[in-house]
Amino acid sequence: MTTERACRFGRAQHLIGLIGLPDVASEGDRVGVVVLNAGMVHRVGPFRLHVELTRRLNACGYPSLRFDLSSIGDSGASSESQSREAQVRADVADAINLLKQHAGCARVVLIGLCSGAQNAHVAACTEARVAGAVFLDGYAYRTFGFRIRHYLPRLLKAASWGRFLDRHMSRSEDGESDSNISFGVHYPALNQVREELAGMLDRGLKLFFIYSGGISRQYNHPRQFLECYGRLTRRPGLTSRLLSQTDHTYVLDTDRKLLFDIIEEWLASNFPISSRSSPS
Amino acid sequence: MNARPAPTQPCQFGASGELFGIYHATAGRPARAVLLCPPLGQEMIRSHRVYRQLGDALAQQGSAVLRFDYFGSGDSAGASNQLDWTRCVKDTVAAATEVRKRSGCDQVVGFGARLGGSIALDSTDGAGFSELLLWDLVLDGSAHVARLDAMQDALWRDPNRFSRPRTASDAANQWLGFPVSVSLRRQIEQWRARSVAVPVSLLDSQQAPENDRPKPIGISDAAVNGLPTPVAWDELERLEHAILSPELIRAVVDHVRGAT
Repeated sequence: MTTERACRFGRAQHLIGLIGLPDVASEGDRVGVVVLNAGMVHRVGPFRLHVELTRRLNACGYPSLRFDLSSIGDSGASSESQSREAQVRADVADAINLLKQHAGCARVVLIGLCSGAQNAHVAACTEARVAGAVFLDGYAYRTFGFRIRHYLPRLLKAASWGRFLDRHMSRSEDGESDSNISFGVHYPALNQVREELAGMLDRGLKLFFIYSGGISRQYNHPRQFLECYGRLTRRPGLTSRLLSQTDHTYVLDTDRKLLFDIIEEWLASNFPISSRSSPS
Repeated sequence: MNARPAPTQPCQFGASGELFGIYHATAGRPARAVLLCPPLGQEMIRSHRVYRQLGDALAQQGSAVLRFDYFGSGDSAGASNQLDWTRCVKDTVAAATEVRKRSGCDQVVGFGARLGGSIALDSTDGAGFSELLLWDLVLDGSAHVARLDAMQDALWRDPNRFSRPRTASDAANQWLGFPVSVSLRRQIEQWRARSVAVPVSLLDSQQAPENDRPKPIGISDAAVNGLPTPVAWDELERLEHAILSPELIRAVVDHVRGAT
């Protein structure tokens, strides 16, 4: 059983979210979970993914907050004049303040899918209270290995040539390469992301990249993580997993359950809950 | 120009606070209240933005509005596989009581898209709606079930979605991302539009020629208003695209204003 509370909060009282509290209090340093919007989908997430995930994590003892960032879902604008990145950082800071006020969490783990992963990355770079992050289809860069695995089998199929030429022609026409765009999310340079991840790991953050089969045109083998991030992957705080059978938004019930199992296991191993028997 | 309405208020109501809603208050005393009944499943997620925009527009015009989620959907309590038609109707009645209490208005107009319109129809007596506005109403439950089954079948076979083949059992007992209980399936299958004692306006975006427009089964004297741009409710390729319809918002706001 969990208790959820609807809240309006934030520096301009412009954000809307739901706090989920476990029915058993944990001891010591309590870590909460904050789930960010996936694209423009409001806080319930694609196919209610965020509702199911936060309730599952509440049942394990983690307080949670799923909320809408400024101008998404039911949240309004803050009326500040600042970059989108600065706004995301300020929204996440507001979310952590709220979770601390209601659940006593001094630290949080951010979870985000697609652009939500990108926003989690932005916030994790600078927010001292972020202890970890789960990036669902977060940054993934095409590597030489990716291209071999992707194109070699296609070279052997005649039908693929027509599709390749079609794509090539249309790309030439609009003059844009799509190698650094995935589901509309523009990626920064790989070196920048590497440096930022290294900074997070230096600060002791635990980071978990979960890739789906839905981005197989961007990421197609577990080895690609090493190909992208090199020596960083030897750092104990950095983990990755490829769920090649799933789609990008976990449309099937069984895939959502698999995802929840994996996240729960990672949280339990990196941020274990020590519960006491009395209710909170 | 109307005064700027107060910020929306998230709320929890129902017997044990299990239902989630967003209340759009007006700047002054509201002329009437409008209850927005959401559709089910992925259509609810897709239409969230247009419901918010409609709520804002109606509040700006002077109507108090409540949006809400049925038990087992959205932010309300309950697992997705607990969604139940009878419970949705009961929740709609509870939501009508809630919007009356918050707004102080006795008169409540019911609005619903797709199966949200069907639920609003079934709730008319219990909720005491003064009028219904139904957007692309599902008129025939069994045809709707057949359509959802066909889309679900196409979904798990879609190579653009899954890079590795999936099986029918992976996708069983679900419609487009949501588990479906045997009882909900049967309830929708058996649903047919029926006549109600209050005025009903159908807002139809499907652009069938005037003579071929679906005659509202059982709603003999409903007014049918065509919306010029068809909404792609049933296109699998647009499964995760938001539904946007400025025409719908304009039509509802004009209708409600005209009814004053």
